[in-house]
Amino acid sequence: MNNISTAAHHAAGEGYAPPPEPVVPPGEGRQLSRPAELIVAGAVALCLTATLVHVASVFLFVAPSNTVSRLYQRQINAWVYPYFEQDWKLFAPNPQSARQQISARASMTASDGTPRPGDWVDLTAVDDAAVRHDFFPSHTAQNMLRRAWAAYADAQGADGQVSSPRALMLQEYLRNIAVQRISAHSHTTFNAVQLRVTSTPIPPPGGADQPAAPAPAPSIRLLPWWSVTSHER
Amino acid sequence: MRTLPGPAADAAAPAPDLITRAFTCLTERPISLHAASVLRIGYGLLYLVFLLREFPNRDEMWGPASPWTPSLARELEGQSGWHSILTLSDSTAYFQTCYALALVTAALFMLGWHTRAISILFAIVVTSFHSRYLFMTDGGDNLTVLMVMYLTLTDCGRCWSLDAHRRRLRTSAPVMRPAVSARTGPLPVRQQAVLVRRLLSTLLHNCGMFVIAAQVCILYGAAGLYKVQGSMWRDGTAMHYVLNLDLFQPWPGLSHLADSHQVLAAIAGYLTVLVQVAFPFALFSRLKYVLLGALLSMHIGIAVLLGLPEFSGAMIVADAVFLPDRLLTRSHRGVAMPGWIHAGETL
Repeated sequence: MNNISTAAHHAAGEGYAPPPEPVVPPGEGRQLSRPAELIVAGAVALCLTATLVHVASVFLFVAPSNTVSRLYQRQINAWVYPYFEQDWKLFAPNPQSARQQISARASMTASDGTPRPGDWVDLTAVDDAAVRHDFFPSHTAQNMLRRAWAAYADAQGADGQVSSPRALMLQEYLRNIAVQRISAHSHTTFNAVQLRVTSTPIPPPGGADQPAAPAPAPSIRLLPWWSVTSHER
Repeated sequence: MRTLPGPAADAAAPAPDLITRAFTCLTERPISLHAASVLRIGYGLLYLVFLLREFPNRDEMWGPASPWTPSLARELEGQSGWHSILTLSDSTAYFQTCYALALVTAALFMLGWHTRAISILFAIVVTSFHSRYLFMTDGGDNLTVLMVMYLTLTDCGRCWSLDAHRRRLRTSAPVMRPAVSARTGPLPVRQQAVLVRRLLSTLLHNCGMFVIAAQVCILYGAAGLYKVQGSMWRDGTAMHYVLNLDLFQPWPGLSHLADSHQVLAAIAGYLTVLVQVAFPFALFSRLKYVLLGALLSMHIGIAVLLGLPEFSGAMIVADAVFLPDRLLTRSHRGVAMPGWIHAGETL
C-alpha cells in the first residue's frame, strides 16, 4: 500500500481521504530550496550512520565474545549501556541443570547474647506454589528470588567473598526479600536472617531401557547471618 | 519485497540515479506502516495487561515497599546511568500516581492517541519501571523496553489508531486540496518547513523500522548461537531440563507429559536452535513465513508450558515486524472491523 505514490493514489480516487499535509508528488525533494535540501541530506547521513552504528554495536554486544567485540569493547559498552543492554541467553548455552531451593530462617538474640534461630521457611516452595496453575505467573514469584540469587551469586568473587559494591547491594536485596517473606509467615520479632541454598541436580533423562539413575546428592550452601534492624521489618 | 515503482512517474524527468532513488525511498516512502501499528497495539496491550496482572504486587515490584528499596534503586542508577521517574520520591501517593499514569499511557499508546507524544511518554514510563525492578526482569521485559524505545522513532500511529480516525474526520469535510500539479520551482517557506518535517519523519520511521527488524534478527541469531555452544542443546536433552524447572512449570502434568516423549523433546530442541539460527537468513524469501509460523507455535508453547506469556507475547509482537503491509491489510479486510479503523490505510 505504502509503495504506491501518494499522487497516484489520490488520482486513482479509491475513496481514501486525502492526508492533511500538503501533498506533493514523488521527487518532492526537488521542490526544496538549497538550505532545506542540505538539512534533509544531513539528516539522512546522520540517521544512516546512527542506525548502522547502533545495529553493529548491539550485534557485537550480544554476539559471543569475538576479536572485534574485544577490540572495541569500550566503545560498544558506552553505546549500549544502560538503555540498550540486552541478554538473550534464556536457557542458553545450557538450561539450568539443578533445582535451586532457597530457605530462610530468622533469629532473635536472647538477653544472654546467644542467638536462637527459628525454623527454616522454604521460600522457593512458596514461589513454586504461586506459579502452579497460573496462566500468567507474577514476576514476584517467577523472577524476584530467582534473579536476586542468580545476580548475587554472579556478583560474588571467585572465593565466595562479598566485596564489590554491587554484591553488597544484592545482599541487601536478598536479605530484604527474606525479611519480608519471613514476616509474612510469622509475627515474631527477629534481628537476623540466614539463607540456605540447596542445589539438587536434575536427573538426566532416563530411557525405558536404562535403569533410573540414582538421585544425585544435593549440595547445600549456608550463608552467614545477616543482621536486620527493626525499622527494616 | 516487491519492486518499488520508480519515483519518476512523471515521464518527462530523466531517470534518477541510484543514490537519488535510495534517498527518495528513505525520505518519502514509509515502510511497513501497518506492521508498525501492529507493534504499537501489541506492546501497548501487553504492557497494560502486565501492569494489571501485577496490580496486587505493584508496591512490591516498583513501589517504596519493594525489597529493592528506593535507596538501592537510586544507588544503582548512580552506577548504571538509568533514570527513573519512580525514584524521584519515596511517597506512596507519588508511586500510585505513577502507576496510574503508566496504565493510562499504555492504553493511550495502544489506541494511538497523539501517538508521537504519547509514544515518548510511554517510553519514559516503561524505562522508568524497567530500571526500578531491574533485578526482577526477564527477556520479555528486556525486549519490550527496547521495542518501546524504538517505536518512538516510527510513525506507528498512522494506521488503526485514534489519530487516523481523527485525521479522517478532519479531512472528510470538503477542503481545498493543496495545489500539487504544475509546480516546478521551490515551495514557499512555510510549506517547505512542513515538507522537511515530513521527510524527516519518514526518514526516522524507516530507520526505526530497520532497527526493530535488525534487533529481532540479532535476538534470534544470538539466542541460537549461544544454544549451539551448549552441550545439552547439542545432545538433544535441553528440553528435558527446561521442562523440569519448578518455577517454569505452571502445569506439571503437561510438563511431565511433554518430557515423557523424549524423541519429540529432542526434535523440538533441535528445531528451536535451527529456526533461531536460520531466521535472519530466511527473511528474504517465502521461507520466512514457515519460520514465523514455527516461532509462533514455539512461543505459544513457551507461554503455556513454561508459564511465560509476557515473554512469549513480546516475542510474537516483535515477529510481526516482518509481516508485509499487503498481508496485514488483506487479513484485516477479511475480518470485519469497525469502519473508522479503515481510516489509516492510506499513505
